[in-house]
Amino acid sequence: MVIALIGILIGGVIGFLLPYTYNTTYSLYITIAILACLDSVFGGVRASLENKFNIRVFLSGFFGNSILAAFLAYIGDRLGVPLYYAAIFTFGGRLFDNFAAIRRLILFKNRSI
Amino acid sequence: MMELKNKVIIAIFSVLIGIIIATQLKANVEAYVPVTIKSIENTKKEIDIIKNEIQEIEKIIQKREEELEVLKKISAGDEDIIDLFRKELYSNMIASGYVDLEGPGISIKMYDNPSDEIIGFDINDDVIHDVDILNILNDLRVAGAEAISINGERVMPTSEIKCNGPIIRINGRSIGTPFIIKAIGDPQLLMAAVSAPHTYGDMLKNVYQIGFEPKIEEKVIIPAYRGELTFEYAKPKGDDS
Repeated sequence: MVIALIGILIGGVIGFLLPYTYNTTYSLYITIAILACLDSVFGGVRASLENKFNIRVFLSGFFGNSILAAFLAYIGDRLGVPLYYAAIFTFGGRLFDNFAAIRRLILFKNRSI
Repeated sequence: MMELKNKVIIAIFSVLIGIIIATQLKANVEAYVPVTIKSIENTKKEIDIIKNEIQEIEKIIQKREEELEVLKKISAGDEDIIDLFRKELYSNMIASGYVDLEGPGISIKMYDNPSDEIIGFDINDDVIHDVDILNILNDLRVAGAEAISINGERVMPTSEIKCNGPIIRINGRSIGTPFIIKAIGDPQLLMAAVSAPHTYGDMLKNVYQIGFEPKIEEKVIIPAYRGELTFEYAKPKGDDS
């Protein structure tokens, strides 16, 4: 948990220092993809706390989810229907689910010690 | 050992997310509004309007260039300047209403309510007034009428339309019913402007039972203005002599 947060902070610093930017046209797709990635990382933290972590599951989730989410947003844009809501609700909801599970795992672990 | 490896992997990907988020923040997108079909349509309409404007401006440019060509020819001595002035004079006469005009349009015959039965509370409701004529004239102008006459009197920008009891005064002459209003313009548009539901003409005809007979004509002749346009008080701006 702490590792994930620290990692994101470090990444943020690196990202700000790096000179690269992309076209703002894609910002919606990137945003949705970020949400999917965040969900995957939280899922990974939770799995590792539960000792069920599998690198294949994690990697396929990380890339697959983000690509699918960005793709949904793109298709929705083409069709004129905001399909990215599907990704927002799914990954947003799962993000909170994962976070709740992580909280409980950490709290109970501390109490048992 | 396994735990550590997992943590490292998660940390690496967290860093990746952090980089993406930071790049996203740097892009500084103010507010993302999803593109809906409606907004696309609105933008399309705006583009069409602007395109029309551009076309009109191009036409004006073309016209001015043609004028310039003529002037160049004159300066080169190929054409006589008097011919040009005559042409210009004639077009100015047309514009100011001193030339008989003909073209497609409509003619409207208006007369007081012919029936013995009185509509409404007042006998005035059965009679055509200056206001009725003015409203019809305005409707015709809205529909793009280029020249209008009433009973052979050309309607000028300075023409008065005054109620004079049972008759109406226009251009200093008194005329009585039936009033025949003629207008040159797009016949369908003019016809719609006075006979479509909820127009003033429709109301006159169907509510006040006033005689109102619009008719499309292929060739309407509008006579020239017979008076004189003289200004007593108005003078060109900046001309103090």
